[in-house]
Amino acid sequence: MATAAKSADGATSTNGVAIVAENLTAGYQKLKEKVRLTALADISLTVRKSEFIALVGPSGCGKTTFINVVAGLLPPWSGTVTVNGEPITGPGPDRAMVFQNYALMPWRTVEENIKLPFEFQGKGRYSEEEINPRVSHYIELVGLAGFERSFPYELSGGMLQRVGIARALVAEPDILLADEPFAAVDAMSREAMQGELERIIEKTGQTVIFITHSIEEALILADRVAVISYRPGRLREIVDVTFERPRYSYDVKADPRFAPLREHVWGLLRAEALGATRGELET
Amino acid sequence: MSVIQSSTTRQDDKDSPERISELRTTPIMVFRKYLPWFVTVLNLTVFFIVWELFARSEVVSDLFLPRPSDIWAAVVEGFQIGLFQQHLIYSLRNFALGLGLATLVGVPIGLLMGANRVVDSIFSPYVWSMASLPRIALVPLFILILGFSDVMKVSIIFLSAIFPIIINCMAGVKTTDPSLLRAARVFGAGRRQLYTKVVFPFTLPFIISGINQGMTRGLVGLIIAEIFGGNRGLGFLIVRSADTYNSPRLFAVLIMLVIVSLSFVQGIRWVEHKVAPWRREAAL
Repeated sequence: MATAAKSADGATSTNGVAIVAENLTAGYQKLKEKVRLTALADISLTVRKSEFIALVGPSGCGKTTFINVVAGLLPPWSGTVTVNGEPITGPGPDRAMVFQNYALMPWRTVEENIKLPFEFQGKGRYSEEEINPRVSHYIELVGLAGFERSFPYELSGGMLQRVGIARALVAEPDILLADEPFAAVDAMSREAMQGELERIIEKTGQTVIFITHSIEEALILADRVAVISYRPGRLREIVDVTFERPRYSYDVKADPRFAPLREHVWGLLRAEALGATRGELET
Repeated sequence: MSVIQSSTTRQDDKDSPERISELRTTPIMVFRKYLPWFVTVLNLTVFFIVWELFARSEVVSDLFLPRPSDIWAAVVEGFQIGLFQQHLIYSLRNFALGLGLATLVGVPIGLLMGANRVVDSIFSPYVWSMASLPRIALVPLFILILGFSDVMKVSIIFLSAIFPIIINCMAGVKTTDPSLLRAARVFGAGRRQLYTKVVFPFTLPFIISGINQGMTRGLVGLIIAEIFGGNRGLGFLIVRSADTYNSPRLFAVLIMLVIVSLSFVQGIRWVEHKVAPWRREAAL
């Protein structure tokens, strides 16, 4: 596995860099109020192609803001974010997202939901005849064969998220953004889903930015874990995770390096998390 | 008695189709399925029998509480002489017209008000003040302006029906799940697509619910307008029957009204179920 620096710096000129954020500052401003909420302050981060990077941090620390910016939903206030060298101007077929509450259209069947990106973005590089087989392929890939015509209200949480994953991957984006995708899934399914995700990404090879509250989940899934501090979010540290892959084939938590690593990350977060629960704001 | 076929379960998928097994239909299952219907029929039969007996006992005057048998005779008579058809069709025609117009005008206005803050602020004062005003208060004014014409009746129905429609449509648009909008945007939806493919399907149950409420209020408007003036329609029949002390006929008309009203409401609920089976809670 390639060695990675402990902290992020500017873009490397070599191939294989997917996303570069430099001095990114972004947040939200309510129209009626004069308050500007800075969610992210001066974040610089480089994500390599096909890397799986997890962002962890207390609630409200700006992780979601970060992927909103990468997704093109939110413009940065200052600093830059580029994807494959190009600055982000809005959403695009190269970036897809999986959501915590699935965000599936309840009036559409599973296969209609998965087809959605093609309806909105156009067929892109695929021809009409290729689309249905692709949809079927991804339905099978996530293990939902037989449920094509089912409606979301008929499915369980884990199944819904698998639809979400299929929808995100069907147009073969370069980048997968995951906003706490397993937070709403029950604990047992969550473990299974983590393995599923790794298995799927192994085949499809996306670059993944994965947001989670669970340090364990981050360590199980990611190549690197970025620890974000409390509001406004700043990059505290990036931790390399070098457990062998595929991690779904053994119990990663049993590895002797796991606990110390988790302790380390938790140590970084402990102060932040306490600050978060007390609602303290950095100025 | 019953046969349950054992199924092979797939280890990884707890909801796999194989796990849901088919049972053979048994008599007890049929019984239980139709039991509610049976109970209702029994219930109503007992009700009418008690009514009949009570009316025959003459505790209350025949005028105030006619016998069901007399009411039934009045129903039959009313249809035989063509009286009921005539007025029923008249009322229903005006009702359909008023409700149809209210839907045609109300749905776009409601959707626009929900989508656009400027439109909302423009229409709001009128919508909310008219919605709060009991439309019955307008009937004398309308009679003054429009006489006892069909136009007057359709206008009252229109105004009765339109406001629930507007308000429900507005609420539907405003409460569209933001995570759905976010997801649509991420996957490249343009502004237009956001409205046609996300907001509108989401709002559809609200629209239907609005029409449902518009319908019940429209019916009230209809009867009131017909009671106040004119010489046709179910409302008129009610007044006429009372004036001529024809209680069986009066009750017959009331029962017809109940049936009409029930059919509409059930019809709309069926439509709602067909269109939006995914909607569990009632909208507004």
